[in-house]
Amino acid sequence: MSDWTTYEPVLIPNIAGLDRLETYRKHGGYDALHAVLHDQNTWPDPASVVQEVKEANIRGRGGAGFNAGLKWSFMPPVDGGPRYLACNGDESEPGTFKDRKIFEYNPFLFIEGATIAAYAMSITSIYVYIRGEYRSWIHKMEKAVSDAYDAGLLGQNILGSDFSVDLVLHSGAGAYICGEETSLLESLEGKRGYPRVKPPFPAQRGLWGRPTTINNIETLSNVPGVIRNGADWFKSIGAESHPGPILYGISGHVNRPGVYELPSGMPVMTLIEEVAQGMRNGKKLKAIIPGGSSTPILPAKDLEDLTMDADALRGAGSMMGTAGMVVMDEDTDIVETLWRISKFYHHESCGQCTPCREGTGWLEKILEKVVTGQGTTRDLDLLLDITSQMEGRTICALADAAAWPVRYTISRFRDEFEARCKPSLIPVG
Amino acid sequence: MAEIVIDGIPYSFEGKPKLLDFILSKNKDVPFFCYHPSMSAPANCRMCMVKVGQYVKNRETGDYELDDQGERRIRWFPKLQTSCNMDMMDDMIVHTHETDDLVKRAHKDTLEMILINHPLDCPICDQAGECPLQIQTYKYGPEGSRFEVKKQHKPKHVQLGPRVTLDAERCINCTRCTRFTDEISQSHQLTITRRGDKNHPTTAPGTVFDDPYSMNTIDLCPVGALTSTDFRFKARVWEMNQTPGLDITNGKGVNVDLWTRDNVVLRITPRHNPHVNEYWMTDKGRDAIHLYNEQRLSTPAIRLHPNDSSLVMTSWDNAYQTTQEIVESTDTKQILVLGSPYASVEENGAWMQFSESILKQSPSYTTHIEKESGDDFLLVDDQAPNTYGCELLGLKKRTKAAFKKAVAEAKVILSLHDDYIERGWLSEEEIKGKTWIYFGTNHTQMAKAATLTIPITCAVEHTASYVNVDQRIQRTYPAKETKYTNRRLDLEMSEGRLDRFGTKFDHWVNEDHKVDCKPLWEIVGDLSLLWGHTLSYRHGRDVLDALASNIPALEGVTYQAMDDQRGILLTSSETQEASS
Repeated sequence: MSDWTTYEPVLIPNIAGLDRLETYRKHGGYDALHAVLHDQNTWPDPASVVQEVKEANIRGRGGAGFNAGLKWSFMPPVDGGPRYLACNGDESEPGTFKDRKIFEYNPFLFIEGATIAAYAMSITSIYVYIRGEYRSWIHKMEKAVSDAYDAGLLGQNILGSDFSVDLVLHSGAGAYICGEETSLLESLEGKRGYPRVKPPFPAQRGLWGRPTTINNIETLSNVPGVIRNGADWFKSIGAESHPGPILYGISGHVNRPGVYELPSGMPVMTLIEEVAQGMRNGKKLKAIIPGGSSTPILPAKDLEDLTMDADALRGAGSMMGTAGMVVMDEDTDIVETLWRISKFYHHESCGQCTPCREGTGWLEKILEKVVTGQGTTRDLDLLLDITSQMEGRTICALADAAAWPVRYTISRFRDEFEARCKPSLIPVG
Repeated sequence: MAEIVIDGIPYSFEGKPKLLDFILSKNKDVPFFCYHPSMSAPANCRMCMVKVGQYVKNRETGDYELDDQGERRIRWFPKLQTSCNMDMMDDMIVHTHETDDLVKRAHKDTLEMILINHPLDCPICDQAGECPLQIQTYKYGPEGSRFEVKKQHKPKHVQLGPRVTLDAERCINCTRCTRFTDEISQSHQLTITRRGDKNHPTTAPGTVFDDPYSMNTIDLCPVGALTSTDFRFKARVWEMNQTPGLDITNGKGVNVDLWTRDNVVLRITPRHNPHVNEYWMTDKGRDAIHLYNEQRLSTPAIRLHPNDSSLVMTSWDNAYQTTQEIVESTDTKQILVLGSPYASVEENGAWMQFSESILKQSPSYTTHIEKESGDDFLLVDDQAPNTYGCELLGLKKRTKAAFKKAVAEAKVILSLHDDYIERGWLSEEEIKGKTWIYFGTNHTQMAKAATLTIPITCAVEHTASYVNVDQRIQRTYPAKETKYTNRRLDLEMSEGRLDRFGTKFDHWVNEDHKVDCKPLWEIVGDLSLLWGHTLSYRHGRDVLDALASNIPALEGVTYQAMDDQRGILLTSSETQEASS
């Protein structure tokens, strides 16, 4: 990936005032929606839009990496009742801060993408769930939505067509779990954010029991580009199996942390050394967490030649997640880092399923023991045992998200953990 | 017909049953906490895990694919599945803990997790002995705990409402209680608050858990988190006898279990009857323990002089002879005999025979229907348990006005159960100068105003039947001994460890709790002898048999049939539909 310096950003392009509707429209904004609604030759029906998005293979940017168009195609046939699109802007995974850049710099791109998605799936209402802590971005979005309504880009008869859809902003209340798609639905319904049992999947029974699709903000923001330039254009960007632009959120011990829009499949070392301009204070790289705190940590030695796409990361023993990369230098205390991560998951477990409710607290308490020098090597084996008791045994993936960091951090940095522990000969069995 | 293989044994099934339901119906055991057959399955306890797979079929030919050994190839689900919310499918293969070590391990793991923050205070917990968590831990749990850090502390002895106390530390967050108020009683009074291992059920701020069905959550709670404020710390479950019975506080005829120790009813819990009350009962019905234990009439009592302020104890013989004297010295036209919908079919039946053969008249009764007081669940308008029974026997129903007129015209009144003074139908002034012989169970205002009181057994001291508002006849069993009955001799009575092994030197064996009363049919039998009649009834069964051969609606009704069919519907379903 040598041409990243010449890459032209499409999600957050460097255009001043793009968050104003007139500027956005001047730069080709809403052309895609207009075409979808009025260009009968290219877009004869909503299904053709779904087909194009499916073809483009926009893999969900929220972490699971599922083909967005394919997800759209799961919606049942129209039956006259309400259908919903829920847009996930909860962005609660630690290390992730990409969607807020879209809210800040290019809100209409997302609104246009969501409107196209609504048209493609015959959606009657769009709900945008925004992280509660994003107070100022929520205000910004409120302004953008009201401008879009005023300009006839939302509401009744959008752009003079017979397509109508409403968009409602909903602010979260600071719960990590509400970023999980089904508990997001519960939260939208005004209930406690408990993830739902699947099946039935949201496409069958989502919000208020009606067909619902849930997409990430960044995923939907890629839709106007696909409509304007075609699926082939999208697929030509970045890694073959995971195409398109990615908002890399780089944080940690680098000289220039921030959100960078670049093609997928960027080499990790390029991102650290060139994009983020190297390690802070010339320290040595120790490890990265590639896609938000729940993705398994990768030590520096595994990062040569590693690229940021779902397949390459899986091969290296981690995940793409949200592409919120946390970079850690040689001074980082891995044990304490893991303790902090576990503390987070303990605090955020909703408490519905037994293994997660009890397991997250147990993990944190043992790690606290280890951090304070009270731990034994048996505790490390116990930690690994507890993670195997949690993984895959719960309704949602939070138990996995809490267990993976523990499992992989210990197995990949075991010597550092053992250095903090007293030896023990008692088996954990 | 679809097929499923569970632990190597094939079963066929129809429709789309849930896997756990099906496995339990085959008398196999799968541990669970949050699942309840009459509520939704949230699958949150993660206890009922099983390994599930399906035979692979060739898509084109529809034949089963075979492996190298010629066995059908199985595609296993990648993770263990909770059976409570799993729809059964054709060609499914299920392995429970009996055949799969991974499932066994999952049960052990989940129990270890549940127990790490559980206080393990079984020795002082009311639930111990009937605790699903305790039972399943013994059966499926780990041998010890590896939890060596500090437990999470949560609120204790929280008074959620007037009748329910919460110990949040014992709570395993199964949400059965919150689902009960959402789905069954629909009061929506309980919810889970806080997150993760700090969460527990609670009411909204400023509200109390005063649902008229609130105590069902105590029975539902699979641990000792929700306990009865009244019953808390009163008894260990293994000290008590459990006797089936009926709720007589209204006309629904809810099936209950009576829990007694030393002849005191300590608590009442619902007994499952799919035709009447499913798994539930009202809080009011549980309050009946006070009716059975407290303020009981014991030993006949007589007012020696009309102006005496109180009655004095007398012997049974004297009570009988006084009754005879009063009746014989009065013109039968001036005698009024009152039956009661609070009394059983047998009591009213024997009462009617006595009245017709000796007093030459049919008894009458008054109903206790309070319009609009019921809901469409278990509370009904009829406050008495046997109104239909009275109707069936042919007792004359009197309105308030007709009743007052009859009382005003009578000189001698023989009445059963009903407290007309408390009800406001009569004042003490109105019965001055009349001779009132009261056959009752408790020290009611009627008993205080009567001339002669004769104590009769209550619903928990005899075998008798009641007809509920849906015309279903159901029976009770004796749960409490009287002075004249004996657990060891009456085979219908249950006998607990303390009954068998306790001695009079024990704290637990106390003659004082036995009431000096007799079943009404015995009393009228004894009385009729004085007139030379022989209404010889030694047991409710004798009365019922006599009634069954005389009254067409009761044909074929026996205690055995009531036991077998969980009560007998006296009208055919067609006539019932027509009447509704």
